[in-house]
Amino acid sequence: MTGRAVAVVGGACTDFGVRPLTWPELAQEVGEALFRAVPSLRSEEVDSLFVGAAMPERFAFQSHVAPLAAEQMGLRPTRLLQRNELACASGQSAIRSAYAAIASGLSDIAVAVGVEKMNLPSMAEANSSMACVMDRPWDGPSGATAPPFFAMVAQRHMLEYGTTPEQLAVVSEKNHRFANANPHAQFYRKTFSREKLLGLPMVAPPLRLGDCSSMTDGAAAVVLASEEHLRRFAGPVAWVRGTSQYSDFHNLANAGSLTEWTGLKHTAREALARAGIGLDALDFAEVHDCFTISELIEYESLGLCPPGGGGRWAAEGNAELGGRLPTNTRGGLLGCGHPLGATGIAQAVEVYEQFASKVPSSRQVPDPGWALVHNLSGSANVHSVMVYQRGEAG
Amino acid sequence: MSGAPRTKRPRTVLEGPAATPAPETAAPAEATPLLLDFLPREAEGETRLGRFFARLREGKLSTTRCPRDGALAWPPRLVCPKCHQGELDWVDLPETGHLYAFSAVLGGAPLGMEAEVPFAVGLVDLDGLALRLFGRVVGRPWTELRVGDSVALEVYRTGDDRVFYRFRAPGPPAA
Repeated sequence: MTGRAVAVVGGACTDFGVRPLTWPELAQEVGEALFRAVPSLRSEEVDSLFVGAAMPERFAFQSHVAPLAAEQMGLRPTRLLQRNELACASGQSAIRSAYAAIASGLSDIAVAVGVEKMNLPSMAEANSSMACVMDRPWDGPSGATAPPFFAMVAQRHMLEYGTTPEQLAVVSEKNHRFANANPHAQFYRKTFSREKLLGLPMVAPPLRLGDCSSMTDGAAAVVLASEEHLRRFAGPVAWVRGTSQYSDFHNLANAGSLTEWTGLKHTAREALARAGIGLDALDFAEVHDCFTISELIEYESLGLCPPGGGGRWAAEGNAELGGRLPTNTRGGLLGCGHPLGATGIAQAVEVYEQFASKVPSSRQVPDPGWALVHNLSGSANVHSVMVYQRGEAG
Repeated sequence: MSGAPRTKRPRTVLEGPAATPAPETAAPAEATPLLLDFLPREAEGETRLGRFFARLREGKLSTTRCPRDGALAWPPRLVCPKCHQGELDWVDLPETGHLYAFSAVLGGAPLGMEAEVPFAVGLVDLDGLALRLFGRVVGRPWTELRVGDSVALEVYRTGDDRVFYRFRAPGPPAA
């Protein structure tokens, strides 16, 4: 990577779920959690703030959320202040901007925060908002939202490779099980056996309720600092060693193959090359399981298994603790819920806390050195990847 | 924003076999706020794609093709995304195709579409050219659809006199 070295020095999440609070209140909560998690952080030294927020205009009737979040969190940025919107990847987008700002020398210490309030009294109104992630005037009138799109992806994967509903349930059971070791998760202390998952109602065939991530309220934040400013943050850090992004279409007519995510292949290859490592060096991964089928295709497009081999990769336990690449130990989007702007940042918090051995032992990866984080957004038309390495401050 | 109940108004199919009643895309009532209205802006003065909507009113789905590089675009465009010039030709699209993939919305529909649940959607490979369009699939319940099924393009008029397109699967063959 070029520029100054940058590390995540700490982070925190609010509880995810159907929360009885507003967007600004979520921002306050995550501010409190962040300053508690990083006690050496002083608000006056945070020179920049990047706010991952996908649709505050739709869900909270609020634009210009960057200064709002700053005020709620008790921050007064003096160098860079902006809101990052990239739908489901808004959180990672905020981290990548913070990384770029620090690497370039414009910022020394930055906070990336993600906030999303998605549960409204009218679910139909919330679903209308979610449809805006797609090509709204052309695909929206026909009823394009994420579930039917990813259902078509699953249908094609089943048709082309023989993937089964049982293989999808393996992913969902795994991620819900990990979420039982994450008190912030929307589905904390809720058990989903494969049999139970296969009996849940169909949402968009062949996808059932347990194949889909939820509408979730939640926030997460991380602090990033340049190498020169690390000393005062004692303890483990997560170095940003590689990052990349790829966008190849928007309207569904231009999607090409539904089952081969070439954008993820490109961006993972480039992010790993920038980090100077291969897939084999990774100790765990946080990937974007907005739907069960997504995680299967992500195994394939990352190159962990051949095309069509995702179902078998999961069923063989390769994504479990002790497997070839433990995946979504946080509980994933399926188990934690998916507050769009917060998800990518909550994944980075998981990476930091895994490196710092701060997670419950039932989801702790033993002595991890490298991690990969992936987010897709929209109809898997954009892929964003970051590669982190464990290090020590000071 | 939850507001008053939305009024249902009669809708007219312009083209295609109309024998089978089928769920239709939401027609925004007069009171629908712009930001909750899913249909594209079609009126003169609101879009430069008036030619597309005029042709749609005649029952024909069309799009733009760049005369310089031959690139067929979807959705129709003002400027070619390959050579970045703005003199584009209009071409009518084939009226038949085959289902590449489909699913159905069984819940969680957007505002104004809840009454149409369950409804089928699909990606359709148009016959004779490389274009795969997303749209509603009507004419048959989703449980009776199969990948590869033939479908026909159909233009329909919405409650507020706008037009849009969808696909119709012919009724199931007699058992």
